[in-house]
Amino acid sequence: MALKPRTVRTIVANAAVALLTAVTLLPLFWMVTVSFMPRGESNRFPPPFWPSRWSWENYYELLVRRLIDGAWFDYRIVPALWNSIAIAALSTGLGLLLTVPAGYAFAKLRFTGRERLLRLLIAALVVPGQVAMLPLFLMLKEIGLVNSYAGVILPGLAGIFAILFVRQACLRIPDEMIDAARLDGASEARIFRSIVLPLLAPITVTLALFMFLGSWNDFLWPLIVLSDQDKYTLPVAIAGIVREHAQDGELMMAAAVVTTLPVLALFVTLQRFYMRGLLGGSVKG
Amino acid sequence: MTRQSRAAWLFTAPVLAIIALVFVLPTVLALGLSVTDYSIYALADWSNLRFVGLGNFVDLLTTPLFWRALGNTALFAGLGVPMAIGASLAAALLLHDTTIWWKPLWRVALFAPYVTSVVATAIVWRFLLNTRFGLINYALGLIGIGPVDWLGDPHASIPAILIFVTWKIFGYNMIVFVAALSAVPQDLMEAARLDGASRWGRFRHVTLPAIGPTLLLAAVMSVAGFLQLFAEPYVMTMGGPAQSTVTVLYFMFDEGFKWWNLGQASAVALILFILILGVTIVQTRIGRRYEWL
Amino acid sequence: MGRGAQQGYEPTRRAMLAGGGALAASVGIAGCTAVTGPAPLRFWATSYEGDYSPLLMPDFTRATGIPVDVQSVPSTAAHEKMLTAQAGGALPDVMMLPSGWIGEFAMIGAVMPLPGPALAGDVVPGALAQTRIGDRCYGVPWSVAPMVQYYRRDLLAAAGYQAPPQDWASWRTMARALKRRRPDDFVLLSLLNWPDTLITMLFQTGATLLRDRDTRGNFRTPEAQAAFAFYLSLYREGLAPRALSTEVQDAVGAFAQGFYAIWPSWPTAMLDFERRKAEIPAAAWGIARMAGPDGPGPASRLDAALCVSATTPRPAAAWALVRHLTSAANELRFQRLIGNLPARQSAWTSPQLATPLIAPFAAQMREPNPAPRVLEWERIKIEMQLVAERIVRGLLTIDQGLAMIDTRVDAILAKRRALVDAGRIA
Repeated sequence: MALKPRTVRTIVANAAVALLTAVTLLPLFWMVTVSFMPRGESNRFPPPFWPSRWSWENYYELLVRRLIDGAWFDYRIVPALWNSIAIAALSTGLGLLLTVPAGYAFAKLRFTGRERLLRLLIAALVVPGQVAMLPLFLMLKEIGLVNSYAGVILPGLAGIFAILFVRQACLRIPDEMIDAARLDGASEARIFRSIVLPLLAPITVTLALFMFLGSWNDFLWPLIVLSDQDKYTLPVAIAGIVREHAQDGELMMAAAVVTTLPVLALFVTLQRFYMRGLLGGSVKG
Repeated sequence: MTRQSRAAWLFTAPVLAIIALVFVLPTVLALGLSVTDYSIYALADWSNLRFVGLGNFVDLLTTPLFWRALGNTALFAGLGVPMAIGASLAAALLLHDTTIWWKPLWRVALFAPYVTSVVATAIVWRFLLNTRFGLINYALGLIGIGPVDWLGDPHASIPAILIFVTWKIFGYNMIVFVAALSAVPQDLMEAARLDGASRWGRFRHVTLPAIGPTLLLAAVMSVAGFLQLFAEPYVMTMGGPAQSTVTVLYFMFDEGFKWWNLGQASAVALILFILILGVTIVQTRIGRRYEWL
Repeated sequence: MGRGAQQGYEPTRRAMLAGGGALAASVGIAGCTAVTGPAPLRFWATSYEGDYSPLLMPDFTRATGIPVDVQSVPSTAAHEKMLTAQAGGALPDVMMLPSGWIGEFAMIGAVMPLPGPALAGDVVPGALAQTRIGDRCYGVPWSVAPMVQYYRRDLLAAAGYQAPPQDWASWRTMARALKRRRPDDFVLLSLLNWPDTLITMLFQTGATLLRDRDTRGNFRTPEAQAAFAFYLSLYREGLAPRALSTEVQDAVGAFAQGFYAIWPSWPTAMLDFERRKAEIPAAAWGIARMAGPDGPGPASRLDAALCVSATTPRPAAAWALVRHLTSAANELRFQRLIGNLPARQSAWTSPQLATPLIAPFAAQMREPNPAPRVLEWERIKIEMQLVAERIVRGLLTIDQGLAMIDTRVDAILAKRRALVDAGRIA
């Protein structure tokens, strides 16, 4: 019996998407399976897909401080993990505190110089952040903030993109709502807190996710600013290890898993907000 | 000042102050650094510092590695942007098809590489691209193509990194394009279909103009992103083989932080800025001509 | 506004409270350092020295009560890490530096001179000179590491050789014989982004690489030509692979499997072989001096020294640590652990170093070290190797390459030239 053309198309299209997804997720899947292989197993041809036996030895080697003959052997990944979490959380918290009110102000509050400042901000988007990096390092050195949490977080707080993002969302809030509250005698701060913030909740979560992700995955600036191994963030720590231990494939995959798993988990749990923030509510589930 | 102005300054002053401090001020200082010969000798003794005007820029023009870095970066952007935008568009079109089930699932899965750390996934891809033991060459071998020396052959290194970068970022623009495709006016589509236009015709004359502005914006941001490639060469190839993956930013990092020639590195940073600015202007001009902006 | 607004408000307030809480907690964590005893001394070292130094520390802590925090810095990133730390005022109390870098770090005021001559009294000849700037020493030599060739005894024996010949012509004959027997494998593991094999060849021809008070390149000499020609011939004849370290990720494994019969390397390779003796038993490899045009000569050296940061708050403790680590006993212990050879002259009288395996190192050590003492030397080596790679890949002829190296070196040394001409540095 011949299949209807639409059924054929359905099967083909779904198969294509499934294949694309499988190919896309394959590297991440392989990363996890190799991390559980015993040492030396991945340097084989043909490359193995599945561990011959599941072993925690790579994670143990990576994460556990071991005492051998009276001396510590330590990759310092766990401190790096805490550093990443702390720095990302601080960046996100402070970043939201700074940019959400500013975005609202640019959208809904009238003040002199608003348009000019806005144009300057948009123009500033074109300048790559790396231009400022070298002098910024020298500046931070003078204030003594090199090799500190503050030195890593501070440059990330200049969230021009975040301000514009929040502004875009605030523009959709009807003016009448705010004017009505003003007529009722509410202060601007009160209006912001009780009316605008609740409406911005999904945007705030999306922005928070963006900021957290951005800070967690940031590489170049922490690489430059942090010199103490105890203060390294995860990407800097594993970049340091990989240059020395390139042949320990399983160990490197374990390090990669430790770095990607937390954000992947966060992303999968909160992906509804993230997608809504990106799609702007224009696409149904 | 009106009540609104007061509130506005309260809301914006902190972040604007930070932007001025960590962005505007250093950018101006970079201009200043770029006209001095700040090097490790100056780190030792301030009085070794000299004003050299455009000397750093002239030096750069006679440095072959700088031209290589420019060429490599141009190659990365020239090949990478069509690849990335094309992949995102293709994936978005596929996902947009009405016959697909479980769309949220595919969306999340295809987006996942974007949220991972570049360093971690660069490590994974380094092993995937291994000439002897990598999965990529194994898969190619299954369909009869001989092993490619991805990270060792100067001609294959840029494609290798581009494949990795495309994999990592295509999810973001895919979502953006999915949103844009949903906004294509359906009545126009119906009219075109009733008129008997082919699939390709409908795409060219209805879909493409509708998503044009989105495509352009995505392209502009992609170009800027590709011009700033750093982590991938740093982790995967250390700029090699034969310096074929040294990008402008990698060159700047080496010059600035490895050899401490901050004067020259700042000159490179400024040149990078001018490049990005130039590309952005060109693209906005094109956009205006096609009335996409 | 109704329940919708209330529900929306809660998560945001919670988020902000959480942010504030995290802020407070982090400030608290950052503020209070749980100190139970004296603060640890900080020590940085690269690669194996960094990994194994912790084993030398318990004795020090027992004797002085001061704990030591060892940080292992990856050697490929060490230069930028150290310079950035110096610029940021974050250098450790004691650090291990390659001797060639001491001039640079002394000039920028990162390291302090020795408090007295006692610490550097008893070192092998040639090791101390590198740490001396003007009339003061800025570091205590810790290890000497001349380059030698490790060879597969079995593979050479199969071709009829007990050990590699020590002059280029005979060495090349042996290499050709090895290649004929195993055409799919290579003879020499000399990677295209490691400059030291080529540097050794240049040293052995007696080439003087810089001229005019070390302010200009001098690569267009017959000696340098000869070295480059020999180097290139090895690749042309398929004796060495056109590969980088990013492609041959496991050099030891490759050597163990016979993909290479000869591997020019440093003393720490002995540790690699020891760790993997299941793949490459001790009887399978041997050590010989690097061959020269007419017999062995000076080779590249990776001597390391221990320096104390100029800004350390505890110089006395720091120098005590240096004294501890550079004692003959500890250097011998380190040699047992990682293969690195002691810089203390008295350590060399120990029977531990009188074995036939160490003899080539001892002989090689007696050669002078012709490396130019400019702080741009590290960079010059790297740039030279980049051009050499292009020559090997057929993109340049030797003459073009040497001219390009000279141009590049002149550019690198421009600042030094200006300062020398102005009389500001010697």
